[in-house]
Amino acid sequence: MQTDAPKTMITAEETDILQEIMNIAFGRAASDLGEYIDIFVILSVPYVRLLKSSDLPPYISAEIKDYDDISLVEQRFWGKFKGAAFLVFPSDAGKKILSLLDGSEEYLESDPISELVKETFREVSNILIGACIGKIAELLGDVITYSPPRVVMDRCQQSFISENIFDDDSLAIVLRTVFEFNEKNVNGFLFIVTSEESFAWLKTALHNFLDQYDL
Amino acid sequence: MIKRILIVDDSPVSIKILKSCIPKDRGYEFFDAADGRHGVEAFRRIRPELTFMDLTMPVMNGFDALQEIIGIDEGAIVVVATADVQVRAIARAHELGAFSVLRKPPRKDNVAAVIDQVEAALKERG
Repeated sequence: MQTDAPKTMITAEETDILQEIMNIAFGRAASDLGEYIDIFVILSVPYVRLLKSSDLPPYISAEIKDYDDISLVEQRFWGKFKGAAFLVFPSDAGKKILSLLDGSEEYLESDPISELVKETFREVSNILIGACIGKIAELLGDVITYSPPRVVMDRCQQSFISENIFDDDSLAIVLRTVFEFNEKNVNGFLFIVTSEESFAWLKTALHNFLDQYDL
Repeated sequence: MIKRILIVDDSPVSIKILKSCIPKDRGYEFFDAADGRHGVEAFRRIRPELTFMDLTMPVMNGFDALQEIIGIDEGAIVVVATADVQVRAIARAHELGAFSVLRKPPRKDNVAAVIDQVEAALKERG
């Protein structure tokens, strides 16, 4: 699954700028989430990687190999920066996050847990993905529209990415960050994948971002 | 008076951006380190009057590095420069002894204001 995609398509400096922008964007997203639910998100250093689109599913599977079953939220976005975002949690995360929202630790048989958990994932993803992509777009001078979030619950992790995100021959930039909801010991991944179509714009936008500073 | 400035950040671009926001006419000497562990070592060696510290870094994060630096020198002036703008992250940085917190991406006016505050604090200490 290791990519042999040409590394020159995105330089080390561009990777570094993108990593820093992702860092800023996810920091803002975590702060927004903290205003919605009483939570502290432990952030990690984001990671940027160039991959062939066909290598994307095995790459993501390898990244989340410690999770047997997962729940995920997928959201597409369109602008000059175009692609898909995937928020991935281990299956048991849903109830833990739900309890952060409503303060309950136990639920009745009659409670529609599955629907509540699904709604929780949808809300959390709207905030995290929306704020993160929105901040990246803002920093790079773009305006984004989003698809509604698609929530997939309790699925075996090997088969979760919707097929044909991009053409198999195309390249994708993957931005990955790992985070932890401190109070509930819940880990998750956010993958942002942008297609080759966005590369030319992205490279220019990254340099424009840097040009505003007198380096 | 500030003579030496240490910037601790794992992103070379971030270091360049921060440096570009620092007034250039004051003759500061710059040092940098790519993670908290190297930051603490650099602090011990250089004893800068001002340290800028990122929070999210590999090897040793900025919270731990800040704590170690304050342990080495209670009067150390550490400005946390971070993308982690969660209320609790900022509160924790202050609890650990940060002089102030600067949000990323930095702006020239914000950085200049922080530097003026640091200069004033150093002057007051005598």
